[in-house]
Amino acid sequence: MLSMKGQVIEHLLKGDFICRTTDEDGWRFLKNPANREQLDDYLSTLNRKVATVGSGADSDVFFCGYCQLGEEQRKVISQQFRDICNGLTPLVAWLVLVQETGAQDAPLTEGSALRLNELQSIVEDTPAFREQLMRISHYRLFGSTSANVDGQIKQVFKRLCELGYLIRPNQDKQIYLGTGKLDYLYEVIRFIDETEGLALEERADIASQGSLL
Amino acid sequence: MSGNLHQAGLRFLRQLGRHAEPIMDAYLSGSLADQALEPAVQERLVKDGILYRPEHGADLHLRRVVRALLEDALRDDRNRQINANTGSALVTFKTLAGHYKEARHQSDYAAADAYLADLKEHVYAFGETLSHSIRVLWSRINNEFGYVGTLNAKIRENELAQSQVSELLAGLEMISFEALADTAGDLRELRHLLVTNLQRSVSACSQELSIVQGRLLQLLGRFRQIRGRTRLLKGWLLHMDQQPDYQVGNHAGHQNVLQLFNLAAPSLAPAAADIHNALHEPELLALIMQLRSLPAQEHLTAAAGAATEFVLGAVDDFEIERNPAREAVSAYFCQVIESGQAVSALDYREQEQLPWDAENWLYQVIGGYDGLPDEQKRHFELDTIGEAHPLFSGNFIVRDVALWLA
Repeated sequence: MLSMKGQVIEHLLKGDFICRTTDEDGWRFLKNPANREQLDDYLSTLNRKVATVGSGADSDVFFCGYCQLGEEQRKVISQQFRDICNGLTPLVAWLVLVQETGAQDAPLTEGSALRLNELQSIVEDTPAFREQLMRISHYRLFGSTSANVDGQIKQVFKRLCELGYLIRPNQDKQIYLGTGKLDYLYEVIRFIDETEGLALEERADIASQGSLL
Repeated sequence: MSGNLHQAGLRFLRQLGRHAEPIMDAYLSGSLADQALEPAVQERLVKDGILYRPEHGADLHLRRVVRALLEDALRDDRNRQINANTGSALVTFKTLAGHYKEARHQSDYAAADAYLADLKEHVYAFGETLSHSIRVLWSRINNEFGYVGTLNAKIRENELAQSQVSELLAGLEMISFEALADTAGDLRELRHLLVTNLQRSVSACSQELSIVQGRLLQLLGRFRQIRGRTRLLKGWLLHMDQQPDYQVGNHAGHQNVLQLFNLAAPSLAPAAADIHNALHEPELLALIMQLRSLPAQEHLTAAAGAATEFVLGAVDDFEIERNPAREAVSAYFCQVIESGQAVSALDYREQEQLPWDAENWLYQVIGGYDGLPDEQKRHFELDTIGEAHPLFSGNFIVRDVALWLA
């Protein structure tokens, strides 16, 4: 059997994101700076290191990054960035749909639970949500060809689990948990917002005030 | 006098008990309609100061003190009243301390005792109010302002709580223990009450208040983060609606790549089986067992699929015809095996005086060789003897064949 260190290295090299929800023991291990140093030492032979979402002590999501960026690595990173950007709109639309169906103030984040059945019944009862779900599920990221809500929503959840945004702790139950990759997604959007000067927050604010008036 | 008060207090409490239901209705819904109570009851409750009418024609409301009593007793979250009026409490302390000192000076010990008891009551109440305020703040923090629905309301509630904390802290700063010590003079009881006791409760409270302040700031930060994320999501969708052909620039291609995008490719592939590792032997053997059982199963299923209709009937008689040519070929093969030397087919024909035509015989031999099962065939070698065609290259005319042991 692998030690904790071995398990964490295996997860990191597989390209997994480690957060409190997906792997609490591994997450605790990584929270310790001495352990992280050990891992960095080990991974540096493979030109890898432990990277975090956010910075400093409050970073809660870990993944594997490159130490040195050569031509090859840059290509990989660029491709990944493009993939993330291409998937951004469907993911964001889905997050907004979940938030609106739950009538919540907070969007889905790491550790928040999502019940497929509840979501499905709300969506089925509301034509506007049905339409939104149809649009979302037909994006290439989710790739649903189903015409009914049941098939669409199951396909979307399946893909989200594959992509690592959700996990299903108990295979017998339709309860899903958000993972740290969602936090990563928010950081990516925030970064794009800041560097491209899109002023997304102000725009949303103005739009919501406009709808009130 | 005190007997009178006692009686009046009991009457008041009974009054509350007797009309508990309308009072709780008023507490929960905020007011009580005129028709809800009989006029006589209503009049009595108003006279006793339990209900009042804020303005002419308005519904009946609970008096503030009754409401505060209930809020406190029920530990109601909605209670966000905080009494931060330290100044007036301090002035009361000073006044009462003055009364006490004067009474002692005039050797009126009965009055002095009464004043001291009064002062004690005030000082204790002051400490109680402070700790109560802090408890109220904590309860609001602990359920994260759960009594209001929206995030914006939570942020406003948080700001209210923060201003209350600052007010409380400012009030505590007003307490000057030097001045209180001066007021107490050298009277032991006063010193104990105004300096020791007060100092203890004030320092405990101010410590706790600073923790409360920290937590409130932390919560506010979290609320703002959540609100920011919601806005980011909505803003992104809005942006994509307005500019559907928007493409994000290639930020991962810059010279200094942000840590966020420095995402290594997955590099761990499944390991392969190591057959030289003795430790793995049991597992590998088990795997091999599975492998073997698979083709057997396939074979069975295939046979079942190929079965044709089965009809019971008389067995057709058949007889294997004896074929002299085939027997001669077998004999030829046997001769080669026995002698162990290559024998040409035509030589053998002449030697044995076989009746068949030369060409027929050759075909028989070639057919016999090709008809052998594979495991026998590989013990023989059939050589062709002949020559190339003189005119047409690539053609080879076989004159004879020779069989020998491989």
